[in-house]
Formats: sequence, C-alpha cells, structure tokens
Amino acid sequence: MLKGFQTILVKELKEMMRDPKILVGIIIVPLIMFPILGLVIGYATQTAQEEAAQARLLVVDNDGGNWSQAFIKFFRAVNVTTTVINNTTPEQVVSQDLLTQNNSTQFLLIPQGFSENMTQFTNGNLNVKATVDIYGVFKSGGIFSNVASAGITTIVEGFNRAVSPNVIYASQSTILDGEIQAGVDPNTLSGLLFIQSLALPITIMILLTYAMQIAATSVAMEKEEKTLETLLTVPVDRFAILMGKLSGSIFIAGIGAVAYMFGYNYMLGSFAGMAQTGAPGVDLAALGLTPSLFDYTLLGLSLFVTLLSALALAVIMSAFAEDVRGATALIGYIYPVIFVPSLALMYLDINSLPLFVKAIFYAIPFSHPVIASKAVVLGDYATVVFGIIYVAAFTIVIMYIASRLFATEKILTAKLKFKRRGSKKTAEQQE
Amino acid sequence: MGLAVEAKDLVKQFGNIRALDELSFHIKQGEIFGLIGPNGAGKTTTLRAISTLILPTSGSVEVFGLDAVNQAGEVRKIISYLPEEAGAYPNLSGWEYLKFMAKFYTKNASELEKIINEAAQISGLADRLKDKAKTYSKGMKRRLLVARALMTKPKLAVLDEPASGLDVLHAYYVRGIIKTYVKEHGVTVLLSSHNMLEVEYLCDRVALVNKGKIVVEGKSDELKQKYESQNLEEVFAKVVGYA
Repeated sequence: MLKGFQTILVKELKEMMRDPKILVGIIIVPLIMFPILGLVIGYATQTAQEEAAQARLLVVDNDGGNWSQAFIKFFRAVNVTTTVINNTTPEQVVSQDLLTQNNSTQFLLIPQGFSENMTQFTNGNLNVKATVDIYGVFKSGGIFSNVASAGITTIVEGFNRAVSPNVIYASQSTILDGEIQAGVDPNTLSGLLFIQSLALPITIMILLTYAMQIAATSVAMEKEEKTLETLLTVPVDRFAILMGKLSGSIFIAGIGAVAYMFGYNYMLGSFAGMAQTGAPGVDLAALGLTPSLFDYTLLGLSLFVTLLSALALAVIMSAFAEDVRGATALIGYIYPVIFVPSLALMYLDINSLPLFVKAIFYAIPFSHPVIASKAVVLGDYATVVFGIIYVAAFTIVIMYIASRLFATEKILTAKLKFKRRGSKKTAEQQE
Repeated sequence: MGLAVEAKDLVKQFGNIRALDELSFHIKQGEIFGLIGPNGAGKTTTLRAISTLILPTSGSVEVFGLDAVNQAGEVRKIISYLPEEAGAYPNLSGWEYLKFMAKFYTKNASELEKIINEAAQISGLADRLKDKAKTYSKGMKRRLLVARALMTKPKLAVLDEPASGLDVLHAYYVRGIIKTYVKEHGVTVLLSSHNMLEVEYLCDRVALVNKGKIVVEGKSDELKQKYESQNLEEVFAKVVGYA
C-alpha cells in the first residue's frame, strides 16, 4: 500500500463524515428521497393496474351475430366488465358521451358483417378477415396511462389464438379532446409524448439546479471574498444590491430558459418527424399535441417565474453560508424538493395522485413547469396560469424575505449552525 | 479641531457573547488612530459598527457628527471601509473594479476618470490593472483595495488589518501609502492591527482593546513611558496583567 495513504484516507473520512452538510446532503437526502420516489411510483403502478383490472369496456355491437356474441363472451370470460349497446356509430358514442355514462375510457366497435366474415374465414376463405375497431380516450398522464387500452388488444390477440391466428384485425383509433382521430393508436401517441415527459423534467431539473448554483455561488463568493462587506458600506441602496444580484442571475437564467425553449422545440420537431416516418398517420402537430406559440410563451413564463423563485431562494440560503462550499452544500438540501416532483411526474399524471400528495406537489413551486408542460398539451390553460400566479406570489414572498435579510446585519452575521443533537439555529458570527 | 469619530459606551451582544463591553473612544480629525489587541478582542466588531455594517446593542457612534445608526446612509457617503483579507471580483480587471466602485460616488465622467487615475497612482499597479484580479498576488490585491479605499478621499478611512499577511515589500508599500496619502489629503484613518510595530509606525494615537473594552489609550511614546516598556507589545502585556 502507498505510504501514508491510510493516514490521509482516515483524515479525509473523519473530516467529511463530521461535516453535517455533507452527511445530510450525500447520505441522508438520497436515503429519504428515493424511498419517497419509490412510494409515489409504486402507488402509480398500483393505481394503473387497478384501473386496468376494473376497466369497463363499452362494446358497440353493430353486428349482432353469433360470432360477435362469442367474441363478447370471450371478453367476459377473462373478467372484463362489458356493457353492450347496438346500432350506434362511433361518432354517436363520442357526441352522446356514452363512455362517461358507462364509466369507461374505451370502446370496442364490432361492425356489421363481422360474423359473416368470421364464418367465411373459418370455412377456409382466408382472404376475408373480420375487423374490430378499438377507440381509446387519450390521456397524457405518463407511462402507465394507457395500460387499459393495451389490455384490450391483448385480449383480441388471445381470441385469435383460440380461434385461428390473424382472424380478427383490430384497428386503433384515438379520442382526443372529444374528436375521433381515426387510425391513430393511443399507445403510439402516448409513447411519443412519454419521451417528452422524460426529457422535459430532466431539462428543468438541470436548469433549476444550475441556476441555483450560479446565484448561491455569486452571493457566497461575495461573502467569502468580503466584497459584499465592502459593498454594504458604500452609498448604495441595499435593495439595489439584492436586485442587481438577482437581475444578473435572472438574465443568465432567462437566456437559459430561451435556449431551453429552442432546444425543446427542436426536440419536438424531431419527434414529430420520427412519428411521421415511423408511425404513418400520427402527426403530433396536426393533433394539436405540439405546443403553439402561445403555449411556448406560457411555458416560458412558467419556467421563468420558477427560475426566479429558485434564484431568490438560493440567495437566501447562501446568506446563511460562510463560503462557497457551504452555500453549495446548503443548496443541496433543496434538490430533493426539485427532483422528487420532477421524477415522479415523469411517470404520473398529477390528477391520479391522492389529494394530499397532489397538494404537496402543487405547493412546491418547482413542480409547476413540469405540470404546465403537460397541461398545455391538453389545453388546460387554467392550471398553467394558476401555477404562474402561485409561483410568482411565492417568489414575491421569498424576495421580501431576501430584501429584509439584506437590509440588516444578518446578511453578514447569520449562519446555519448544526448542533450535536441535530437541532439547528441561527447563530451570530463574531470577530 | 472637531471629532471625526466618537464612540460612547458601545455594547454589542452576539447571543451570549458580549463582543463589545461599553467601549468608548474618540478620534480627532486628520488623525491616524489604531486599535490594537488580540484575536476576539472586539476590534473588527468596533470597525464594523462604525462602518454601519452592524448595529450596536446599546451605546452610540458618531462619525463627523452623524449618527452611524440613524444616519447610516449619510455616514456611508463620507467613509471608506476596507475589510480584513478582502478580495476583489476575480473576473473583473483591476481597472474595472476601481471603476465599478467609483461609480457609487460620482456619475460625472471626468470626476470618475480622475478618481480612477488617482487609484491607479496609489496602487502603483500600472499596466497590471488591465489584468483580471484573479491573476493578482495577495500583495497586489491588497494594494488595489487600499487604493480603492482611499481613491475617493473619504473623510474617514476604516482599515481592518491593512497590511496583514503581506510580504515585507508589499506591507512597506501599503503602510507608506497610508502614512503619506492620509497626511497629504487630510483623511482621518481608523485602523486595526495585531502588529504593534506597524501601529507604532503609522498611528498618532492608539487604543488597546481587550475583551471588548479599551484598556488604555494614548500616544505610543507616552504609553511606553508610562508603562516603562520597550514597545506597545510590552505595554499591552503589562496592562492586561500578562507580564
């Protein structure tokens, strides 16, 4: 072994393990964060499975023949609760809101001539195939949102295996915003949008953490280098110092937000292209599933106010640090609050969460850009605007606290002190 | 001549710690006044209270007749504070830093230029002022900051350990600036130091601080004579009962 290696290693471990900021940030936070995330995702999986198990299927039997009866019976045999109606067009199902009335999110259309085609196929005329149409309401929730729709296709395949391979061809259509998009598979759509729902939170997480580091480092560096101490004794309004620092960070963050919007737009463009070549007939833009200029403006605004709140919070947190290292460690405590909702919302529709979890997610300002990005796709502007107002109000409160901090000697003397028993309090710094 | 600083019964409490304990002293206009004492004696706290950075728990500080608490904004116009071991903005050049700081005192372009040129002369950094501050040595940084503190010809310059940690030549340069510049421009200086020799060389009068109190105050020579000591270090040791 290298000479002196052990001595240095022991010293390093002692030094780091005794630093409560490192202990909490590196060890305690992940130990808490990931179990919480696991619980949330576990809940989402369970809910999706339960929904799939309890899914009611509306069957529009416009054929009424023996084979259609057998087909419906097969569904019942695998414990799918079905409601059967006759002589109804898909448009009528949608316009009369029959899905909601039957507590279902999808329906199976057995067209006229189904039994006849089945009979011909089973009698050896393999050129004739029976068709059924599956219509599913599109939900942009997350990875588990279209589990039920996929389940029906599996049952149709099961029926084919029982009777004869490829006897029934099942076409997929999507019901989006009350309109039928014929030939658009909800699973394909959901797959494409899932890529977005992964990329967006990741980008937002990176942008927020990076911006907070910039702001915190900026204040901490001023404290460490004592340039802040100098500034506080020159004839300048202390609020101007705070606003100057924040505006500098906002400017950088603003450039970040714009760059992010351009990048995001490019990404969506490339996915739309992939969708057109990879899955003919699926055009996200034509379906209104790519953001418009108005959507981008709202998204940009949501991201901007969130960045602002993060920056203001970073400034306050760093005021309690003595140096850059301390500020970085303190900012680390906020990361779980950014990561948990962002990671969770990759997989989940916020509306599928229990009320108290939903309330917590809405209360965290950093969740709102992710929530907004999903909401604009569905045209839910009220949620986006609420988020912007809420985060703006939060930011004003934080900035008020920051301005009070700058107006007093606390900006120089306050520091977060960890006592041995884990309690913490602010202490004054003296010569 | 009137008083530049008058501190009366200053008390500063940090939680359970009494950093200043009814500390009183005064500085005459044009004087170089030194606060000396060990670490934790209360020197920096005193300088910070006079520079409007912290509020005294009780007592009062007046700077040229202005109350440092109630007229802090006015006090900041006539003082200049140099914290101990302060740095500059690493990514700004020395020139940019001086300009940035000068802009708080004047918006007039010709005055601004005059102030910066003055600072350039005081610092003696010449062309190096064009370089970023992060490329400066500790001594160069301190010269830049001392120049910044004096360039506006403040009525009161508060300098916390102005030459601490500097090598012989840089320390000599900085002390030289303080001594000559102050006398030429009639700037009053309040400085703190651990270095008793430095204080003897620079200061017209000194106050020895211990445990938040002024234990003795006067001219160096008088104090040495009174306590039959070779230097201020010995005076201090005798006053606090160490020797």
